[in-house]
Amino acid sequence: MLSPEILDALALSLRVAVLATALNALVGIPLAYALARRRFPGKALVDLAVTLPLVLPPTVTGYYLIVLLGRRGWLGAPLYAATGWTIAFTWYAAVVAATVMALPLLVRTARAAIESVDRDLEKAAYTLGRSEWRTMLEVTLPLARNGILAGLVLAFARALGEFGATLMLAGNIPGRTATVPLAIYTAVQTGESGVALALVAILTVLSCVVLVAAGRLGARAT
Amino acid sequence: MSERLEVRVLKRLPGFTLDVAWTAGDGVAVLFGPSGAGKTLTLQCLAGLLRPDAGRIVVDGRVLFDADGVDVPPQGRRVGYVFQGYALFPHLTVAGNVGFGLRDRPRAEREARTTRVLDRLGLAAFASRLPRELSGGQRQRVALGRALATDPALLLLDEPLSALDAPLRHSLRDELRTILRDWGTAAVLVTHDVTEAYRLADRIVVYDGGRVVQAAPRSELLWQPASESVARIMGIRNVLHGVVVKATPDRIQLRWRGQLLEAVNSPTRSYLPPPESPIAFFVRPEYVRLIRKDRGSADPDHHMNLMAGTVVSDEDFGTRWSLKIRLDVPGEPAQGDHDLEVEVPHLVYEILEIDRDRRWQFSIHRGSIHVLPA
Repeated sequence: MLSPEILDALALSLRVAVLATALNALVGIPLAYALARRRFPGKALVDLAVTLPLVLPPTVTGYYLIVLLGRRGWLGAPLYAATGWTIAFTWYAAVVAATVMALPLLVRTARAAIESVDRDLEKAAYTLGRSEWRTMLEVTLPLARNGILAGLVLAFARALGEFGATLMLAGNIPGRTATVPLAIYTAVQTGESGVALALVAILTVLSCVVLVAAGRLGARAT
Repeated sequence: MSERLEVRVLKRLPGFTLDVAWTAGDGVAVLFGPSGAGKTLTLQCLAGLLRPDAGRIVVDGRVLFDADGVDVPPQGRRVGYVFQGYALFPHLTVAGNVGFGLRDRPRAEREARTTRVLDRLGLAAFASRLPRELSGGQRQRVALGRALATDPALLLLDEPLSALDAPLRHSLRDELRTILRDWGTAAVLVTHDVTEAYRLADRIVVYDGGRVVQAAPRSELLWQPASESVARIMGIRNVLHGVVVKATPDRIQLRWRGQLLEAVNSPTRSYLPPPESPIAFFVRPEYVRLIRKDRGSADPDHHMNLMAGTVVSDEDFGTRWSLKIRLDVPGEPAQGDHDLEVEVPHLVYEILEIDRDRRWQFSIHRGSIHVLPA
């Protein structure tokens, strides 16, 4: 029943989603804090850039990623010239695509959670000798924890289901960049309805689990 | 100037300008005034949470802010802050909250200090509870303990009793008073409640519209509001308007509702308005004397500022009655349907049978008519 191609796709998808979620935590939580609590030049632009993948067609986001990271891209060309390596059509590309697509979900959820922390608590920490950095670690983030976790769960779900941007940047190479959604697409195209059904079922169950988890965390966040 | 606290702050915000200067010594300074007068903004400037546009803040000789380049961050000010609603850390226990400002100290010292503060405030039994498991009064004590544990040079309290129900407020007001006296830390407390201000203050600074309208020791403010507007902000009743007949450094004679009244002129700031100029004054309702009818007729030599009037309405305030009296003279009454509000204890109300007998003569000692400088 679980053929090697199904297991390959599943293993790849989980690896990509876990890494993308980790990258999201690394980039998204500081970003959410900065957007919620700090003023800095270009804030509106950063907010826009992070949120845009939420509303753009994923293929458009994927196209921008090619322009940025492709072999002839703004960042990709110098990298290729220096090392002879390009991220396009590797599984790293799938991680990048999933990260970018999932980021708005984490940032928006985490930002709302951070903004809902009473500012007087932070001020109290300042008057008690805490720096802003330590106040963030000891007061703000712990109190926004459930909202941040809910955001991470949503980001994980989004990364798991990413299709369009991944296809553009990473392609659809079985065993290398064909994640579960891409494998489903291939299976339907080639008429392997059994494989398609199995993958659809697995992805549906996983997404349900994730949504329930996010819902529970969200409910506890308030 | 050897005052413990010197505050001069100018802060412009959209639609509001805070421009205040005052000093305070030991004990509790109360910032009193209506909501939106700039009291909390002042506290935030003192704590370093808000940067003034100009001014100077000095605590115990240490300059915390000076527009010429000093701006100590809140972390370095040694100023404790009790927030409105307390702002206790909801994810930390009572001990965690109280010890929060001590985390940079050695563990043993931190624990010893926390325990001592908890004991002193009667919170030892609640050390491992979370703030949400506490009553309002216990929360107030935790907030005080958290701010006092670091041994601050100055303690700021923003409406510390406003989060509580009325019956609890009264007992906690006195508890707060005891704690502040007991600890001896110089404190600045914000309130818009007159009784709270009187009960807790050594010095009262009256705010209105972003300015200080008067700063004085508590007792002085009670008897000598600097102006009619201060008197109104303080909720003083029977603020009345008359015309000057004659003013000398000792006395002021004035005409009001057809009566010739004599008042003591303020010895500290002899006020000499020319005759026929308008003058504001106030009479405390509890300082009006009703004249008993069973002791013969009133003697004008003995009873100063003698008048006659009718009780038009009365209200029971539990321990005392408030009577609204209208003078027996023609013309519009001074305060709507009445001229004077008079307060008498329940016992007096019953002995004199005021519920039945509505016509009275009364007198006001010249020392009880307080002239308000224009």
